Amino acid sequence: MSEPAASAERGFWDRLPPSLRPLDVELKGAGNIRLVETTLMILVAIILAVATVNDVVRQTGVNNRLNVDKQTWRAYTGRNYHNVGVETTVFGIASTRDVVCGNTVAGPPDGKTQECLLVVGPIRAGRRQVLGGWYVPAYIQHNDYAYRYGCFGSATKGLCAR
Amino acid sequence: MESGSAPARARSERMPAAPAWLLGGLLLAALLEISIDAASGHSPIVPRSPNIDGWLSGLGEHLGFRIFLIALLVSCGAYAGMLALWTFARERAISKRFVIGLIALVHLILFVGPVILSTDVFSYIAYARMGVLHGINPYTHGPLSIAGDPIFHDVGQDWVRTATAYGPVYTLLSYPIGWLGLVGGLFAMKLEATLASVATLVLLWRCAKLRDLDPMFALLAVALNPIYYLYGLGGSHNDLIMLAAMMFAVSLTLAQRPGARREGEAAAVIVAGALIKATLGVLLPFMIISRRRLAPILGTLVALAAGALIAFIAFGVHGVDIVAALNRDAALVSTDSFATEIAHLLGKPGVFPVDHALLKAGLVVIFLHLLWRTWRGYDWIAASGWTLLAISVTSTWLLAWYTLWPLPLAVISRDRRLFVATLSIQSLFVVHQLAPLALPVK
Repeated sequence: MSEPAASAERGFWDRLPPSLRPLDVELKGAGNIRLVETTLMILVAIILAVATVNDVVRQTGVNNRLNVDKQTWRAYTGRNYHNVGVETTVFGIASTRDVVCGNTVAGPPDGKTQECLLVVGPIRAGRRQVLGGWYVPAYIQHNDYAYRYGCFGSATKGLCAR
Repeated sequence: MESGSAPARARSERMPAAPAWLLGGLLLAALLEISIDAASGHSPIVPRSPNIDGWLSGLGEHLGFRIFLIALLVSCGAYAGMLALWTFARERAISKRFVIGLIALVHLILFVGPVILSTDVFSYIAYARMGVLHGINPYTHGPLSIAGDPIFHDVGQDWVRTATAYGPVYTLLSYPIGWLGLVGGLFAMKLEATLASVATLVLLWRCAKLRDLDPMFALLAVALNPIYYLYGLGGSHNDLIMLAAMMFAVSLTLAQRPGARREGEAAAVIVAGALIKATLGVLLPFMIISRRRLAPILGTLVALAAGALIAFIAFGVHGVDIVAALNRDAALVSTDSFATEIAHLLGKPGVFPVDHALLKAGLVVIFLHLLWRTWRGYDWIAASGWTLLAISVTSTWLLAWYTLWPLPLAVISRDRRLFVATLSIQSLFVVHQLAPLALPVK
């Protein structure tokens, strides 16, 4: 329902068919429209709720994996550096194969030659499996294929340009 | 619900029931925890900032996601409890004085505490300083053009190259703040947000009374909404000024003796508000269609002409071209947007251009449906609220304070579904923040 709107030009609108004329107050038959609207809104709400919960579960899994990936990199390389970067979408959003990179010697984040590890599999004892890795020069994006070199390990064939 | 005899009413006015004290105490405790911890320094939740809260530092610990999220959940619980308490027990449980005191305390704590959850306020100050101290047009350059200015380091890294997306009225309003220095400027922005919030709440009370709705419920529902005060006030967002303009315009149309002049003024206020933040402009078609008079159209045209002239004189052609800024922002994607969540649900890495087009088309359909409903007598205030809610839901760039846009309209609309829908969207937003809580504690 609306506030009583002034309708000085009512005569003008009266030329329209009744079903098209403007109204100051909704007709009682509007209940059907409300029913359709409410049904649609409930459907949308369900979709949004499912999407939200799915995203929270996904984020939780990814966040947990990120922490484990960093720990795995530190344990594997023996370098206890704070700034270790993890790329989770190199192999697609649904993939759990991550690329974890950190400096080979102490320095600013990405400021030295990077050692990147390909980390896969489930979490066991706070670690994941390292299948191999590669190196990239300083200040290069981790997953930039053209700059990767020195690939090592079983599953990195074809992942290095050099 | 009647509250009993006059002496009993007077007694309840002085002494709220224990649940109200408990809920109010929880809400304040959560807010104090956030503010005191935030004063300990920069964190992912607390942006770098000029030092305005040194007197609070040392009292708390570094504010991480876990503490913040627990405090947010406590605030949400207290808010829901307050609404339920008022709905079922009214004056027997909560007095007006108690609620107003609580709201005043919330505003005071956020005014003296640090900026939280957003760097936007530093962008506002940077644009003001660009204009008044450096002679640079904020509509053509980003804060990077004043990289030597001390405010530059506080601007969010994503925005340093971005020219202002705010309307020319807001930019001109903020210009005097550019002369106040960093600390003075920040407090001026906080004061501006606080005053805008108070104005919004006063107008909300007035609108609810004019519509024969419960003004206390309206006040509680907006002022103690955690997203309103934590994200909106806590970040000193200019959305609060937009909300104040919105409620002023609505109050003009609800005046006891509405007339052509009032409606023209209301339309002009909406235009002025849209020249602060363009989103407010969506109210105009609904107001014009519901009134079906010449006055709001004339008010719109006069205000638009005046605004465009002022913007052109102050900022040149770029200050007038709000559409370009809107298009630029519409292309952004945030991880909190429902579009991104649905993309993830469908196994896609994110939002693609075709998704932008589909969302825009959906928004247009909703807008046209609501226009038609308003033409056929539906409450124009509710229709405006639904549109603002639809904009936030379909936006690929959803931020917490965008979910505030429909809230004041929702509590004074005649369609209670809007209030339920707005709170549901806000609840989903809060749920989406909770992932860090599921991680093991280090």
